[in-house]
Amino acid sequence: MHRLYPEKLVTVITSEVLEDRLVKAVRKRGASGYTLLRACGAGSEGLQSGMLWVDTNLLLKVILPPERLPGLLDDLEALSAKGHHLTVFVSDVGVLGHEKFEQPLDG
Amino acid sequence: MSSLSNLLLPPVLFFALGFLARLIKSDLRFPPDLASLLSIYLLVAIGLHGGFELGTAELGTALASVLWALGLGIVLPLLGFGLLMATRRVDGLNAAAIAAHYGSVSAGTFLTAIAYLGNLGLDYERYPLIMLAVMESPAIVIGLVLATWMRRRATGGRPAPGSEPDVRFSELVHEAFTNGSVVLLIGAMAIGAVASPKAVTSLDPFVSGIFMGMLCLFLLDMGMEAGRRFGDFRRVGVVLGAFGLLMPLIGGTIGVAVGHYGLGFGVGGTTLVAVLGASASYIAVPPAMRLAVPEANPSFYLTLALGVTFPFNVVVGIPLYHHLAELVVAAA
Repeated sequence: MHRLYPEKLVTVITSEVLEDRLVKAVRKRGASGYTLLRACGAGSEGLQSGMLWVDTNLLLKVILPPERLPGLLDDLEALSAKGHHLTVFVSDVGVLGHEKFEQPLDG
Repeated sequence: MSSLSNLLLPPVLFFALGFLARLIKSDLRFPPDLASLLSIYLLVAIGLHGGFELGTAELGTALASVLWALGLGIVLPLLGFGLLMATRRVDGLNAAAIAAHYGSVSAGTFLTAIAYLGNLGLDYERYPLIMLAVMESPAIVIGLVLATWMRRRATGGRPAPGSEPDVRFSELVHEAFTNGSVVLLIGAMAIGAVASPKAVTSLDPFVSGIFMGMLCLFLLDMGMEAGRRFGDFRRVGVVLGAFGLLMPLIGGTIGVAVGHYGLGFGVGGTTLVAVLGASASYIAVPPAMRLAVPEANPSFYLTLALGVTFPFNVVVGIPLYHHLAELVVAAA
């Protein structure tokens, strides 16, 4: 029987132009890594066809220990307050080998 | 009828095919990176070609072109902003973001105009190519200045907490002038200008031979994108849609005046300057506005630039600016 450890999975969907800012926040808040996917779709900002850089969305997934979650959410809220459109949701996940999630990217 | 035959250019027809493909909900799709590759190719090819010919250009006319391009890049967004505010259909921040698009240029429209002139066998001055590179950026700065003014006005002169964009002015200016398409175009022009004629000839068919075919593919893709955007038309409404048709006519007319009276170009060069004045950016400005004016709705400026103004210029505008240039040059 494998041992699963509880962690938080943060998923962010937003415009690709915010990539640098998101990565900066993820690094600053001590995440051990992140995954980025290009995405298309539609929502409050209209069609995001994925054809041009400006109308391509990105899907960011970050797994991090629960105690580091509030800091990252603060940064994401600050971006929202400036008018950027972000869809953010947090899930409880179980991970194998939790040690790798404890080691910050910039640690 | 010459106007009709000009509409039957293969690149324009491919644009129409792309548009139609979206309207009939065809499953025709390009891989996402192909659009980027085609843009890169077109900028490199036109840059090399133009740079090669600009190697023998007069410095005075080249400098005058740069100054007029800067002037257009400043005046056009201010005009657009005034018009948009007069419609009372958008707030100041949306007006600033949309106006910035109309002060910048669309390389796709410019290349279509070159194909149009080539089809007519009409020669043109190469200086508008320098203007194309210069005009990508100043409107971004004007858009930012207008947006900052609108924010300050909304808060009685003081920046509201959390309302300032998370991008510094210097950062935006840096992004505006080091934008990939600007670097590529100016870089390819410089390479074309300094390379030996023999070396440039050895690049064929890359520079000229396959240019029109690649332009057809690019416009096929742009037609599909315009078709997708056309579905968003109801979001922008009739008044803003009318702005997307009126603004290129104003910009095109100013461009004709600048091309002929300001720079002394013939019909070909004047037509190209008119196209620069008439076109709206969909490459350099949208990401900059998205970062700097996040409060503005991207579906407004993208739908106007790509779904209204770009198809209008490709199908109606270019022949119209050409005829206007003919009239002005003949009258002079």
